[in-house]
Amino acid sequence: MERKTFPAVLDNLEGMIAFVLEHAGKVGFSKEQMGELRLASEEALVNVVRYAYPSGPGSVDVACGPVEDGRGICIEISDSGIPFDPLSLPAPDTNLSMEQRKIGGLGIFMIRKIMDKVLYRREGARNVLTLYKNK
Amino acid sequence: MESSYSMECKDGTAKIVLTGRLDAASAPKFQEKLRELSAQKISNLVFFAKDLEYISSAGLRVIIFAKQKLGADAKLYLIGAPAAVLNVIKMSGLDNFMIVQDQYPG
Repeated sequence: MERKTFPAVLDNLEGMIAFVLEHAGKVGFSKEQMGELRLASEEALVNVVRYAYPSGPGSVDVACGPVEDGRGICIEISDSGIPFDPLSLPAPDTNLSMEQRKIGGLGIFMIRKIMDKVLYRREGARNVLTLYKNK
Repeated sequence: MESSYSMECKDGTAKIVLTGRLDAASAPKFQEKLRELSAQKISNLVFFAKDLEYISSAGLRVIIFAKQKLGADAKLYLIGAPAAVLNVIKMSGLDNFMIVQDQYPG
């Protein structure tokens, strides 16, 4: 796994996603899957940028590497912010009209739809979210 | 492609041309644009999405907010969206609450 640390600010979002897509490109995902990986990465990273550090600046680590003999990718996103398990969020009711919709939970819902496996763990003082997707 | 959102309002119909990406970085600009509608009576909100390459939940949220502001009677159109964008809209279930077409008026 190759690891890179970024200040957890929105201005770095594109750089973080580019790092993920560079590794995804090496695995050889289709154009459509690359779009999905961009989406899942954005949703996971934006959560950290917006919510992990309510009281000041912080950083986010992005680590990527091939899995399953190069047939898939593992993306690990970690931060030292407040403990938060995004997988604990209830799934949004996608049958509700726009007027009835509550904000929140849509990002993680889409991550789970796109990725094959999503795991969260609290490791010491860190939140670690691990995403897997195969070709 | 540069992300941009141009808008034209006439006779209760707002036409918005979306290009590039509608993501967390660009959603605030898009929301600011849609705020211009709040002073007007809009019954049709038409998004031309042929050149929209990508949308994330941040973009969807702005669309949901806009619809909530305009009220239940306002109709929302999504015109010419490419498959990548349409898939995200469908994933969120929002396709059931907008008129998805290749052309406007259809």
